[in-house]
Amino acid sequence: MAQRDIDRVIIGCKKGDEACFTQLVDIYGRRCFGYFYRLTGNRDLSDELLSELFVKLVEKIGTYRDGSFDGWLFTMASNIFHDHLRYKQRQTRLLDEHGRRLKSQSAGVADEYDGDADKMQRALAELDSDVRELVMMRFYSQMSFREIADSRREPIGTILSKVHRGLKRLRELMG
Amino acid sequence: MNNSANENLRELLAGFMDEAAARQTAEDIENGEKLLGAYSAPQPDERVLAEVKKNVVAAVRRRRTVVFQRRILTAAVAAAVIIVSGLVLMRYGNQQSSHQTRMVAASIPASVWEGADDADVTVLTAEIENIQSELSGAHSDDGGNGSNDIGDLETELIEVNGDMWKG
Repeated sequence: MAQRDIDRVIIGCKKGDEACFTQLVDIYGRRCFGYFYRLTGNRDLSDELLSELFVKLVEKIGTYRDGSFDGWLFTMASNIFHDHLRYKQRQTRLLDEHGRRLKSQSAGVADEYDGDADKMQRALAELDSDVRELVMMRFYSQMSFREIADSRREPIGTILSKVHRGLKRLRELMG
Repeated sequence: MNNSANENLRELLAGFMDEAAARQTAEDIENGEKLLGAYSAPQPDERVLAEVKKNVVAAVRRRRTVVFQRRILTAAVAAAVIIVSGLVLMRYGNQQSSHQTRMVAASIPASVWEGADDADVTVLTAEIENIQSELSGAHSDDGGNGSNDIGDLETELIEVNGDMWKG
């Protein structure tokens, strides 16, 4: 879909047009699902996060001003994923399951993987959680490095270095 | 739009490293992203997307109701503010006008009242009372000579006025 048409859909959403919101699900739903799936490795959880993202989008669309809509949407998706991680960590603490306590966010996400995780999913689970998230953000949101750096409030050099390291390691693991 | 597609990666990396390293790093990144593209994530079920759309439409309707309720509330608050302001203004205005009346009464020089002859005041008061009773009689008179009575009263008023200024 041309950017001009997407812009028209976004304007419709800002006016509260139901049809435009459903169109937005058609445009971004698959990409956002892919992003969540690659981060969680779990289909059901990705379905839930996807639904949560679009419901939140309805609430927040008025706050989108200009700039990259993809960047705005995926920043919101990243926040939802982090909220989920925090919730999961709280839950784990409450259950006091020391044996299964997360060694890191990476391990925590790996725990959720479906049994039939593909090769790429297993390779991604080997990456540091922060690096994996950056690589996924870059791939699915199609944001520029500068946009990612702005959205995460990190120096662009750091972002470049992390993504480079992550993708290089991924190639080795997939080798 | 400044997205990954129109970003000059090599130029960007050249700001952090020498040209050869920038070229190598850009190649690593491009190849890594190609690999990710080759192993695409599974697609969501169409049923899931339909469910997401249903949730989104419900959220839009919920939001619309909330916005409508908020507008009603704002209008009610605005109306209440206007009514209270009106009441306050009316009360304040009444207080001010009674204050002004007192001011007018006080502004008549005391010498006018003190210097007036008692006999003149008595005559004038009697004339006024007479005119008042004739006026009320003319108003209550249902007969056809009401206009003549009013004409007579006018003449009398002119005479009283003239007498007063003559002293």
